[in-house]
Amino acid sequence: MATNNEIEGFGRVSRTIGTVFRYLLLAATLVGLVFVTILLVYVAKDAVQPLTADPAWHLTFFLTLVVPTLAAGAYAYRESVEALRTGVFSVGFVVVALMFSGGAAMIFVDIVEPLTWLAFLLALAVPTAVTAAVVSYDHRVPFAAQFLATVAAFYLSLFGIPGPLGSLAGVPTLVPSLFDFVAGLPLAPAPWLMMAGTLGPPVAYVGSQYVAGDRDRRAHVLTGAAVLALVLAGGALGPFAGVDPVPGVVVAAIGLAPPLVYTAGTAANRPTERTGLVVPATIVVGSLVGAAATDALGFAGPQSWVDWAFLTGSHSSTAAEAGFYPAIGGSILLMLTVAVLAFPVGIGAAVYLEEYAPDNRFTRIIDVNISNLAGVPSVVYGLLGLGLFVTYLNQPPGTVLLGGATLGLLILPIVIISAREAVRAVPEDMRAASYGMGATKWQTVKNVVLPRSFSGILTGTILALGRAIGETAPLIMIGAPNVKYSLPAGLSEAASAMPLQVYAWSSLYASDGFYEQAVPAGVVVLVAILLAMNSIAIVLRNKYQSTE
Amino acid sequence: MTRNESAVSSRRKFLTGLGAVGAAAVAGCQSTGDSGGSGGLSGSIDIAGSSTVFPLATAMSEAFRGDDVGEAHPNVDFNIQSTGSGGGFANHFCPGNTDFNNASRPIREQERQQCASNDVEPVELTVATDAVTVIVNNDLDIDSITVEELATIWSAESQPEQWSDVNSDWPDEPLELYGPSDASGTYDYFIESVLHSGDEELSHRQDYSGTEQDRTIIQGVEGSQYAMGYMGYAYYSTNQDRVKALAIQDGDGEPVEPSLETARSGEYTPLSRPLFTYPAKSSLAEEHIAEFARFWLENATSEQLVAEDVGYVPLSEEVQQEQLDALETAIEEAQS
Repeated sequence: MATNNEIEGFGRVSRTIGTVFRYLLLAATLVGLVFVTILLVYVAKDAVQPLTADPAWHLTFFLTLVVPTLAAGAYAYRESVEALRTGVFSVGFVVVALMFSGGAAMIFVDIVEPLTWLAFLLALAVPTAVTAAVVSYDHRVPFAAQFLATVAAFYLSLFGIPGPLGSLAGVPTLVPSLFDFVAGLPLAPAPWLMMAGTLGPPVAYVGSQYVAGDRDRRAHVLTGAAVLALVLAGGALGPFAGVDPVPGVVVAAIGLAPPLVYTAGTAANRPTERTGLVVPATIVVGSLVGAAATDALGFAGPQSWVDWAFLTGSHSSTAAEAGFYPAIGGSILLMLTVAVLAFPVGIGAAVYLEEYAPDNRFTRIIDVNISNLAGVPSVVYGLLGLGLFVTYLNQPPGTVLLGGATLGLLILPIVIISAREAVRAVPEDMRAASYGMGATKWQTVKNVVLPRSFSGILTGTILALGRAIGETAPLIMIGAPNVKYSLPAGLSEAASAMPLQVYAWSSLYASDGFYEQAVPAGVVVLVAILLAMNSIAIVLRNKYQSTE
Repeated sequence: MTRNESAVSSRRKFLTGLGAVGAAAVAGCQSTGDSGGSGGLSGSIDIAGSSTVFPLATAMSEAFRGDDVGEAHPNVDFNIQSTGSGGGFANHFCPGNTDFNNASRPIREQERQQCASNDVEPVELTVATDAVTVIVNNDLDIDSITVEELATIWSAESQPEQWSDVNSDWPDEPLELYGPSDASGTYDYFIESVLHSGDEELSHRQDYSGTEQDRTIIQGVEGSQYAMGYMGYAYYSTNQDRVKALAIQDGDGEPVEPSLETARSGEYTPLSRPLFTYPAKSSLAEEHIAEFARFWLENATSEQLVAEDVGYVPLSEEVQQEQLDALETAIEEAQS
C-alpha cells in the first residue's frame, strides 16, 4: 500500500464504494433466506404452539436438555472440532433414520404385506443368483445363451408361464411364477419374522463390516449377531412398548440399528472422535429425564397441532381432528415411483450425453432443450400428464403411477443436468488410465465413471426429488383427490399428497381452524421431511467432496 | 490358505445360522388366509364436482366411514376432488372416471349428451338447499339491495363504475367486485336467477376478480370498504363477523336476509337454490356405492350434519322421500 501511494498521479482511492458493494452483496445473499426463515418460524409457532406450554415445562427441558447439551458440545469442541462434528452428525443421523423408518413402517403396515415383500425379494433373488452363476461360466457359454438364460430366469420368476404375453393371447396360467407361488403359500412365517429375515441380515452385514472393519472374524460375527438381535428384539419386544411387531422390526432395522452401528463404529475405530458421542448421549438422556420429570411434576407440554394423532389420522371436517397420514403415505409412494422412473432414465441420458454423444449440431440442440425443459412451469407438465396419460392412454386420473410419471417427467431434466455435472467431474486422467490398461468404453463407464460419480448423481437426484415432493400444480391437473382417507393399496389407485392436502385445507374449508392449525401443521411436516431428504444429499455431497 | 479355511468355516457357520433362522421361521409359521374377514363393505368411491357441495360431500363421507351415524364402513375409501360443477362433468364424470359428480346447478343438456356418448347415465339427486349470499364490507352503510340493482351492478351491459351509478343514495366510490369464476355452478346460478330475472337476458360482466376459492372472495371484501361479492351460504355462515350479508328485495316484497330459515321457507328469493349430486347409474350396481348414496339421502335431513357442520339447508322429509324413491329405482335398474 505504501509503495502505491508514492507513485505520482495515483491519488488516494476511496474504499467506501467497495465496502458498500460488499454489504449490498451480503444483503442480496441473505434476503431470501431471512424472509423464508421468518415465515417458517411463524408457521412453526402456529403449528407447535410453544407458548401454550407451562413455563415450568420449558424450564425443566432447558435444565435437563439444553444446558447439558451445550455443555457436552463445548466439551467435545475443546477436545477437537472433528469430535463435535461427529457428535452433531450422529444426532442428525438418529433423527433422519427414525423419520425414514417411520415412512418404511408405514409402507409395510398399510401397503406392502410382508409376505408379498418376501415373495418379491425371492422372485428377484433367485434369478439374480442364476445370472451370477451363468456369468461365472463366462468362457464356456456363448453370449446369446447367457442372455436367454438370464431373461428366462427373470421372466419365469416374476411372471411364470405363459405370463402377461400368454394372458394377452388368452392362454391360462400353466406354471405360476415364483412370486405368485410364494405370495400364495397357505402357510408362512409370522409377518414380523419375515420382515426381520429380509431386513435384518443386510443391515447386520453392513453393520459388522462398518464396526468390525478389518478385525478378526469373531468381532464380525459378534457385531452382526448383535444387530440381528436388535432387529428381532424390535419385533419381539415392540408389543410391550405399544408398537406392533412389524413396524417394531422395521423401526429397529432402519431407525435404530444404523445410528447405533455408527456410534459403535466411531467408538471402536476412531478414538479421536469418541468424545463427540457425548453429545447424542446427553440429548437422549436429557430428553428422557426431561420427559419423566415433567410427567412426574405435572407440567403441561405445548398443545402442538403436530402430534401423533395428526401424523396417523386422516382428514376430518373439523380442523382439530384432521390428520395427515394419507397425504404423507401418498407422498412417500409418489417419491418412490418418481425415483424408480426418473433415476435410470436420467442417468442413462446423462451418461450418453457426457460419454458417448458426438459433439455435433444434433446433440447441441438436445443440450439446449434439456436446459430449457428444466425451466418449463410445473403446471405445463401437469397438462402433459393429463393429456398423455389420462386422455390419450386412458389411464384413471390421480393414481400413484400417473402422479409419479408426471412428476418424474417434471424432474427428469434436473436429474439429467445434475447427473451430467457429476459425470463431468470425474477426472479425465482416470478415464485415460482405464483406456491405457486396455479397457473398453463400456468397461470404463461401468468400472470407473459410474462408481466415481455415483454419490454426485445421487445428491442431484435427491435434490430433484425434493422439488417433486413439494409440487402441487401437476397433481391438481391430473386429478389427484383433495380428500382421501386411507393409503392407496397399489400403484394404480388414487393417492393424496402432502402439498395437495395443505392446498385443499387452505382453500376449500371455510373455518379459520384449518388455516391456523391444520395448514401450519401440514407445512411443518412437509418441510421436515424435505429437510431430512436434503440432509442426506448434503452428507453425500460432503463425503463426495472430501474423498476427491 | 488360512483365508480359505476361514471362508469354509464361516460358510459352515453361516449354514448353521441359516438352519437356526429357518427353524425359528418355521416355528413362527402361521396360516395366511385369515385377513379381511370383517365382512363390511369395502372399495373406493371417486367423487368430483362443485366446490359448493364439496364440504357436504366430505362431511357425508366422513360420517359414512365413522360410526357416529348409523353403521361404520371404515374400509370404504373416498377420493374427493373439488373441480367446479362443469369441470367435474366435462373432465371426470362423463368420461367415466368418477362415480359421483356434485353440482350446484342441474346438469346441462350438452353435458347429458357427452355422458350418453360414453354410456354414463347420471341420476339426479337433490341433497340440500343453498342460499347464494351477497356480501359487502362491514363498514359500508348499505343493508339491502333489490334484484334489479344487483343485476345492474353485475351485468356486462351496464358495467357501472361507481356505487352512485346504481343508486344515487349510495356513495360516490368505485365498485370493487369479487365473485366465483365461470367454472363455478354458483356463477351460472347467479346469472340465471339475477341477470336473467328481468325482461332481457343480461350477461355477467368479466371485469371482476373471479376465483374458485371462496376464501379469496371473503378476504377481498373484508379488505376493501367499497367491495361487493357473492358466494355460497356455507362459507359466509362461518365468517359472519368478517363481512356483512345484504338482504335481498325481490320485486315489491320486503328485503329478506339470507339464513337457513328464510331459505327453507322459500322467502329468500331468488337466490336460494337446490344442490345436487349425480351418481352414475352403472356405479350404483356396486353395493358400497349404492349404500353411500342411500346414506347421503337418509342423512340429508340431518340438522347436525347439513346445517350445523356444513351450513346448508337440510331437505324436507317429503323431498327426501322423493329422492330416495328415485334412487332406489335407479339402484334396482342398475343391479338387475
